[in-house]
Formats: sequence, structure tokens, C-alpha cells
Amino acid sequence: MGTERKVNNRRKFFQTSAALVGGTLLYAIIKPFEALAQPKEEELKTDKANLPLWGMGVDLEKCIGCGKCAEACKIENKVPKEPFYFRTWVEQYTVKNDGTVKIESPNGGIGGLKQSVPDEEIFKSFMVPKLCNHCTKAPCVQACPVGATFISPDGVVLVDETYCIGCSYCIQACPYGARFMNPITKVADKCTFCYHRINEGLQPACVEVCPTNARIFGDLRDKESDLVNFLQVNPTQVLKPHLNTHSRVFYNGLSSEVK
Amino acid sequence: MEEHYKHLYEALSQVDGYIYPNEIDLHWGLMIVLYPYITGLVAGAFILASLERVFNVKVLKPTYGLALLTALSFLLVATLPLVSHLQHPLRAYEILMTPNPTSAMAIFGFVYLWYLMVVLLLEIWFDYRLDFVLWSKKSTGFKKYFYKIITLGINDTDEKSAKLDDKLGYFITLIGIPSAFLLHGYVGFIFGSIKANPWWSTVLMPVIFLFSAMVSGIALVMVIYMVVSWIRKVEIDMPCLDTIAKYLFYILIIDFTLESLDQIHRIYEAEESFDIIKVLVSGKLNITLLIMQVMLGTIIPLVVIGIFQVYKPAEKIRKFSYFFVGILVLIGIFFMRWNVVIGGQLFSKSLSGFTSFKAVYSGLEGYVMAAVWLIVPLLILTFLLWLMPPWKKVVTHE
Amino acid sequence: MPKLIFRLFLTFVVFVGIFILIQQLLTPESFGEYGHYRANAIDDNKMSTSFYKGEAKCNECHQDIFDQKALDVHDAVRCESCHSPKIDASTDCKVSPPIVKGTIKFCAECHATNPARLKKGVPQLNFKEHYDKQNCIECHNPHAPWELKEK
Repeated sequence: MGTERKVNNRRKFFQTSAALVGGTLLYAIIKPFEALAQPKEEELKTDKANLPLWGMGVDLEKCIGCGKCAEACKIENKVPKEPFYFRTWVEQYTVKNDGTVKIESPNGGIGGLKQSVPDEEIFKSFMVPKLCNHCTKAPCVQACPVGATFISPDGVVLVDETYCIGCSYCIQACPYGARFMNPITKVADKCTFCYHRINEGLQPACVEVCPTNARIFGDLRDKESDLVNFLQVNPTQVLKPHLNTHSRVFYNGLSSEVK
Repeated sequence: MEEHYKHLYEALSQVDGYIYPNEIDLHWGLMIVLYPYITGLVAGAFILASLERVFNVKVLKPTYGLALLTALSFLLVATLPLVSHLQHPLRAYEILMTPNPTSAMAIFGFVYLWYLMVVLLLEIWFDYRLDFVLWSKKSTGFKKYFYKIITLGINDTDEKSAKLDDKLGYFITLIGIPSAFLLHGYVGFIFGSIKANPWWSTVLMPVIFLFSAMVSGIALVMVIYMVVSWIRKVEIDMPCLDTIAKYLFYILIIDFTLESLDQIHRIYEAEESFDIIKVLVSGKLNITLLIMQVMLGTIIPLVVIGIFQVYKPAEKIRKFSYFFVGILVLIGIFFMRWNVVIGGQLFSKSLSGFTSFKAVYSGLEGYVMAAVWLIVPLLILTFLLWLMPPWKKVVTHE
Repeated sequence: MPKLIFRLFLTFVVFVGIFILIQQLLTPESFGEYGHYRANAIDDNKMSTSFYKGEAKCNECHQDIFDQKALDVHDAVRCESCHSPKIDASTDCKVSPPIVKGTIKFCAECHATNPARLKKGVPQLNFKEHYDKQNCIECHNPHAPWELKEK
């Protein structure tokens, strides 16, 4: 009798533990698939329409290439001061009379851009501020192997500094050269539209300091915003449209020479 | 840190034309050149082994086991250059924990695991299981314990079990061929899918990588076979060597054709990026592409083996030439990887200028480290050959 | 089923099982809440300090400068375009005031002649011809440039 109960008990124990282990395994196997299927439903649930959709307009007719934006960005975001790390920078294009194009951006334009081509050789010349284009179909987000860079629900491409493995694949995938490897944090770094500022109701640092208001920042969903007005009034263009990145930085007065 | 900036300042002074300011640094260096190179050697060696097993090229028998072990020893090292180039190597496990389904690099982790665990290890295991059982009875010490454990307690030595091993091994090889294609085609896809980079972004990239992988793997096994035979002081099986060379010749032709096709396509279409690529090929990649890759790595081997297809000189000359050609092909394919990885980062995505690349000797990305990653697989191979010499096996399949 | 296949299959299942369990354990908190990333990373990105305070903040103490600025051509230029905060110092402007020297070099960042700059709106000058010796602010009031100082 005693032994029988022991056997029974033992059997029960094995059955329960087998069920437990099996159940955990089964759950663990099903769970990832669930996660694969979920995001789409999730998107519908979080009411995205209530969130802003951030974007920027750049009016090239107003930009004077003073480089204040690049300088402010470095200060605000603690970007190393070396001349090869920039979240935003200004390029000066000079189309010469013979049709060749000269592009310059010494130190990203900080300290004001100076024309190096003599006046009589110039056909036309203009400034182009560059920054992360916050693509709707971001190649960098597509490429990141671990999900350390992503498009936030309000449309900003961000980097998860605690999760980035530093493989540089996103840097290779970005057609605009807007990303770099931060030598201090050793993770990919890029423009965040000053995410900490815009969530406090401030403007991004580059927009704040622009003396000619060449940069217009705002909510693309807000029909009353300056940005929407800018897009409605001016014919705008995005950079490298053939790559189908659907970027959210819009340029007014963009010449075909700009790459 | 200071050192890091110093070389970037040097690069800054050597910029040619205009590049985006963040493009000074080449984010992928020597380690990423090695990664497709080593992976390619694996895929190529495996395909040579399957030629014997699946396509029944019996004359290749002497290299079958050797090719498999070569593939395994290189595969074990394949991801290490990749991990050592990461800025945060300790976070590498994240690729397997939260793989981004849209990222070519993330899925590679699984392709790699599949290939290692399901294809190579299993195939070798089925090949050797019977020998492990037999050897475990004869040997002593470490070897004995190793053989005992690795049999997983299956000690059958009868004919039936040997037949089953053979059948299953054959089945795994069948799965293995598409897997090897997948493995290296995928490496090509990692580059080929970057639409931002016109030097990489071509649909032919995976196919080119695949064929160049086969070329390099076959050349490697050929060279290793000759070296191992010399060390063991056994006669080299000449028909086998001739056949390997023949396959090397054919696949090299396909590889060369594909690469030429890719370039001709570029030249004829002459898209927006063509102007800068033209300057790249005739300037910065002049030596590595035209001389190292095309001349040394392709044309000379093609001519030498090509001649042997028509006229066969004495064995000694052939042996020497095969060895020489094998080394040349290995160098050529290394520079092919170099031209893809480094070449693709030398020009700016603004298509208006170049940065420069200077490899360093020390550090995790230097020449010394690169040499280590190329020597370690050879050491592993030596160990494996000592542990499970293919020439001491009982014949399991005909 | 032959013993061999069964045993291999079992090994395979055990491996996959262990892998999936580890995956469950090591996937960070909040991962996948909105998409394939750590939802908490959004908040991490908000944590940075704002060095630039915005005009409203300056307005709290310097209403007089605002009034003066509004009447002249620098009305659209915001304070921090010139008075950038001193990084690594305190972010409070009372502790380390963001003083600008108003040198020719500084004003030239915007006002030096450059064919890429549109003439309208921003006056451009050749500083050598205009006035070589002195700092701009010795004649011009930066907050109201056309209010020239007497010498």
C-alpha cells in the first residue's frame, strides 16, 4: 500500500513536472510568433492620430551658411567637437561657369562658410543644411540587426544607446551620411530632432538658433502649424527621392546639383 | 582616443573632392573583409565535398573528409572577426535574442547556426560515428573519452547501422548544398541589399559572392590537400588533383563571367554613380582590383589550368603549378572581398569625393588580428586531423 | 524510429528549447511594445539636458532687451543665436553668463560677403573696406544694429 502510493505520488510528480516543462516550452515556442504577429494590431490600438508627427522644412532661399545650427547642435547634444562628427551640417554648393560643381563644408560650416571660388567663375552658389531626414521608410532601421534604432510613434528616428552593438550597418545603410559612430559612447549617433527638447515644448537647437528662420520645425498633422503652411505655400522636395525613403525633411528651392 | 582622432585628422587632410563630414572614417575595416572571405572558404569547401557525395564524382574521394573538416574549422572562426569589429562586442548576443526580421545581418546569425549545427556537425557526425565507436575501443587517454562522449552512446557497429549513417549523411548533404548556397548567398545579400551604396547594391552580388566562395573554397582544399600529403609523406592522388583543378577552372570561368557582366552592365547603363565608380576603379582600387584580383587572382590561374586541359605536362610541373595557382586564387579572392568592402566605403555617398583607408597593424582591427583569424582555423584543422584523421576511417559509403 | 534518429531529434529539441528559454530571459523589458525595439528607449531619449533654454526663458529677466530688439532689424534673431550656452559649465546663465565679444570675426559668420548668401535681408560687407580696426559693437548695438553709438 505504502509503496504503491509512493509510486503513484512519484508518477503524479513526474506528470506534473512534465506538464510544467512542456507547457513552458510550448509557451516559449509560441510566444515569439505572437510577437511577430502583434505589432500591426498594436499600431491600431495606440491612437497614433493623437500623437504629433514631427517633420522639418528647410528654406534654402533663406540659409546664409553661418553654421550656427551645426555649432548649436554640437553643444546641445554633446557631439565631439572634432570636424568629422556632425548631426547636422551646412554644405555650400558652387556651380561654376564650366558646369562643374564644387561642394564645401569645412568643419560642417561652423564659424560661417566662406566662398573659395573667385566671383567671376561662379555661375550660381547656394547653401544646403543637412541633417537626418527621419525617413518614413528608414533604411537604417531596416538594417539594424537588433532593433536598437527605430522610428518612434511620433515619427522620429532614434537610437537606443544602451542596446546598440556598434556594428555600423545602419551607417552603411544611410544614404545621407547622417549617422556616425560616437567615439565616446561607442554607439551609432544621429540627429534626434532634439527629442528631449521637442517633448518639453522647445524647438530643436538648430531651429532655435537659426538667425534667418531657414529651418521650420513642426507637427505634420497639425494643419495650423508653420511647417504645414510652409509645405502648402512652397514647392518642396526631399533629398534622393529615387531611393524611396519617404523622408520628413522637406527642402524649398532644392537644386538638382544637390546630392 | 587621441590615436583615433589622429588618424581621422590625417584622413581629413587627404580627402579628395567632397564627402559628407561623417564619412571620413571607414566603419568597416579589415575584419569585415575577412568575414565574407572565411565564410566563403567554408561554403566552397563544403560544396567540393558534396561534389563527391551527391554528384558522385568518385575521383574526389581523397579530399572528401579533408574538405568537410576544413569547412568546419573555418566555420568555427567565421563569426569571430565580425564580433571583434563590434564597438560593443559584449552585446553581440542581442543578435540572437532580438533579431530584427528585416535586417540581413540579424538573419545571418540563424543561417550560420543552422549551417553549423544541422549541416556540418551532423554530416561529419554521421560520417564518423562508426569510426568513433571503433576508435574508442583502440585508443587511450583523452582521445578515448572524446570518442566515447561524441558517439552519444550509440555504439552499434553492425552493417545496418552503418547503412543508416550513410543514408542520413547523404540526406544531410542534400540539405547542405542549398544551405551552403544560402550561407554565402546571404553574405552577398548583406552587401547587395544596401541601396545607399551603388558599388554594393546589385542583384548579382549574392551570386557573385557564391561563385567566388566556391572558387576560394576549392582552391583552399586543393592547397591543403597537397600540404597535408607532403607532411604525411604520401603520394598525391593525381587524377583527384586534376579533377579539382578542372572544377576550379569551370567555376572560375563562371565567377569571372558574372563579375564582368556586373561591370559591363554598370558601364553600359552609366547611371548617376558611374562617374565616381569609374574614378574609383581606375584610381584607388587600381592595384587591388585590376592587378591583384583580375590579373593575379583570375587571369593567370585561368590560363594555367586552361592550358592543362589541353596539354598535360609532367606531374611535377602540374603539382607545382596547382599549388601556385591555388595560392594565387586565394589571394585574388581575398582582394575581391577587399575591393567590395573597402572599395564601397572609399567614395562618398554624395558621389563627389573620396576618403582614404589606412589599415593599422595593432588593435582589434589590425593586420595582426587579421593574421590571427586566418591562422586559428588552420590550427583547429590540424587538431581535427589529429583527432579524427579521414585517412584512417573505415569506408562507410561507396 | 531508430534509436539514433530519436536521440538526435531529442538533442535538437533540447537545444532549441534551451535557446528559446534563454531568449525569453534575455529579451529586455518593454521590448516589442510598439515595434521591434525597447519602448523605454523613447523615454531614455527624452532624458538629455537642454543647454539652449529658448527665448521664453531669457524673456523672464531681459524684457528690456526684447523691447529694444523688436524695433530693429535683428528682431527675428533669437537670443541664443549669438549667446550660445557655455557647455560643460553650469547651465544657469547667472553662474556663467554667455557673454559675446562682438568681434568682426563673430559678426562675419553671418555678414561676410558670400555669393551663396542672398543679398536681401542680410547685409553683407567686406569688413576690410568697411572698418578694419575695431570690433563691430564699438559702433553698432547688437540688439539694435542701426542705433549707432556716438564716439
